[in-house]
Amino acid sequence: MDRLLNRSSGLFFIAFGIFLYFVVIPYDTESVDYGWVRPQTVPNAMAWIIIIAGLAQLIRPTGSVSADIAKMSRAAMHLLIVAGGVLAISQFGFRLVSPLLALAIMLTVGERRPVWLALGVIGIPVLIWFVVAVLLGRPLP
Amino acid sequence: MVDFNVVLAGLTDAFQLTNLLFVLAGVVLGQFVGAVPGIGPVMAMAIAIPFTFVLDPLPAIGFLVGVNKGGLVGGAVPAVLINTPGTPDAAATALDGHPLAKQGKPVKATKMALYASVTGDTFSDLVLVTVSAPLAIVALKMGPVEVFALMIFAFSIIAGLVGNSLSKGIIAAALGLLCATVGLDPEHSTPRLYFGWFELYDGLPLASVAIGMLAISEILRRLASTNGGMKSAIEIPVAQNPEDMRVRWVEYWSCRYTMLRGAVIGTILGALPGIGSTAAAFMSYASAKQTSDDPQSFGKGNLHGIAAAESANSAVVGANLIPLLTLGIPGSVGAALIISAFMIHGIQPGPLLFEQQGRLVYGLFGAMIMANFINLFVGQVGLRFWILVVRAPESVIFSSALLLCIVGVSMATGGLFGVSVMLIFAGVGYLMTAFGYSVVIFIIAFFLGPRFEISLSQTLVLLDGDVAALVNYPIAIVLLLLAIVATWWLGFRAAARQANKQPA
Repeated sequence: MDRLLNRSSGLFFIAFGIFLYFVVIPYDTESVDYGWVRPQTVPNAMAWIIIIAGLAQLIRPTGSVSADIAKMSRAAMHLLIVAGGVLAISQFGFRLVSPLLALAIMLTVGERRPVWLALGVIGIPVLIWFVVAVLLGRPLP
Repeated sequence: MVDFNVVLAGLTDAFQLTNLLFVLAGVVLGQFVGAVPGIGPVMAMAIAIPFTFVLDPLPAIGFLVGVNKGGLVGGAVPAVLINTPGTPDAAATALDGHPLAKQGKPVKATKMALYASVTGDTFSDLVLVTVSAPLAIVALKMGPVEVFALMIFAFSIIAGLVGNSLSKGIIAAALGLLCATVGLDPEHSTPRLYFGWFELYDGLPLASVAIGMLAISEILRRLASTNGGMKSAIEIPVAQNPEDMRVRWVEYWSCRYTMLRGAVIGTILGALPGIGSTAAAFMSYASAKQTSDDPQSFGKGNLHGIAAAESANSAVVGANLIPLLTLGIPGSVGAALIISAFMIHGIQPGPLLFEQQGRLVYGLFGAMIMANFINLFVGQVGLRFWILVVRAPESVIFSSALLLCIVGVSMATGGLFGVSVMLIFAGVGYLMTAFGYSVVIFIIAFFLGPRFEISLSQTLVLLDGDVAALVNYPIAIVLLLLAIVATWWLGFRAAARQANKQPA
């Protein structure tokens, strides 16, 4: 299974390198025709290195892999919750959203004890507000 | 050479009450987060950096060094008590620390870890103080061609040692360098890879990338593995024999050679970029076991095992700053974070640092030495408290850490755009770790990227594009040859060995 996943990641990086070299770098790098190291020189070199190393990984896969679909799905869910929280912070502010974001995270990992929930949902956001806004005098997002 | 007055002025700065208080705060925070499995000093430093903006450089960097040093002591607590190292380098400590704790001597085990850690750390700091200034003078004689060759050498060591697969190490380094090219290119100042976001003209924010890949991706990994329950701590006896709650002088003194060997191993490995404290701890542990009269007792609660691991992993911290302060090359993620703190305060690490900021450097040295004594004092007082910290639920710890990361990056980057970048790199970091691509290599390459490109450009100008002109730069040739040897020895050979071990 590890070899298959290692090969898959090698294949991915070959495709990624080719996409970088032929699409992303030409499209998003201003070309200059003078100088030894042009704006596209290092990105192009890195794209080639990624393609060659990806090819090496495809042909002779090495290294360990700890990819677990169930855990990756849970991690993706948490990342989405945090991204949603950041989007909400941009609309309603940190003070309003942070307790809800903390509550969502704590509930999704199975925390049900009222005291710990209260600490995470009320205590920590208040402490952050106190340190950042009051002690450091910096605005919260 | 640095003027002696500057040295004294710097050391005096370190003893100012404000600076000492920030070092103390850093050590307390470091021991606290080290004691919580899953957070660790690197994540704490990453989160803390934006909060140090409002401080002067010395208290800010002294605080971060305190977090780093305190974290190594704190990391031994969960390793000893629940066989779950708070930091990866404490894994070797658990080999003998946990069996000793199971024998009803958890306080003795954690205290031995504390004493050995402070001993190794102090040794390494003394080497740093005495060696770095002369090394910086040598480094000053190096021109762009030698610096470029040195960076190639550093990359070859990092790629070969940090990853367990050369091709994966190379891909991680290339990705780091690629991400470092976002923004204006250093030679022509033309924009590249910014995808229409003008916020990226200055490049990807280091705080966003570092916190996303190191802290958030680790939090995601831990959240995905947790079930909300508390970790099962070992039973700590309520009434312990007083002899089992302290380390006698005779016991400490009997470990002196073990600790000295550990400190030397940690200092040497720490001075080389990329090897890290985990390797030092295990190497020291193995050598202590090999040279012991009673190797069978290792793994069963031998104090020498704890002393070997802790003295080595702590000695790495000070030595890590040798390449950072003399060459501007971070030897570890912790050093990369400290270097970013330097840059945030407008200070460029490297050989000129001793000339331009000598007082700050010696202030930092003073703060590091003081941090060791504070580590000892806080550890003596706080160990019993950190033992309770091990029982804090992950749900509270990680939800708090997430909120701190959002606020910290928002402060560092001046808005939520940086937070969005942080979340993208959190996903990238999680996937890279899951598929075995080293995040550490990525971060170091990302940090070195702009300097690498500038020195490449300067080298080509100096050589006029003629590689044969390298014969005029013998040091560069030696460094490039060393890079080739290191890549072959540490990369291809290691990869071949691993490939032979893997089942078909």
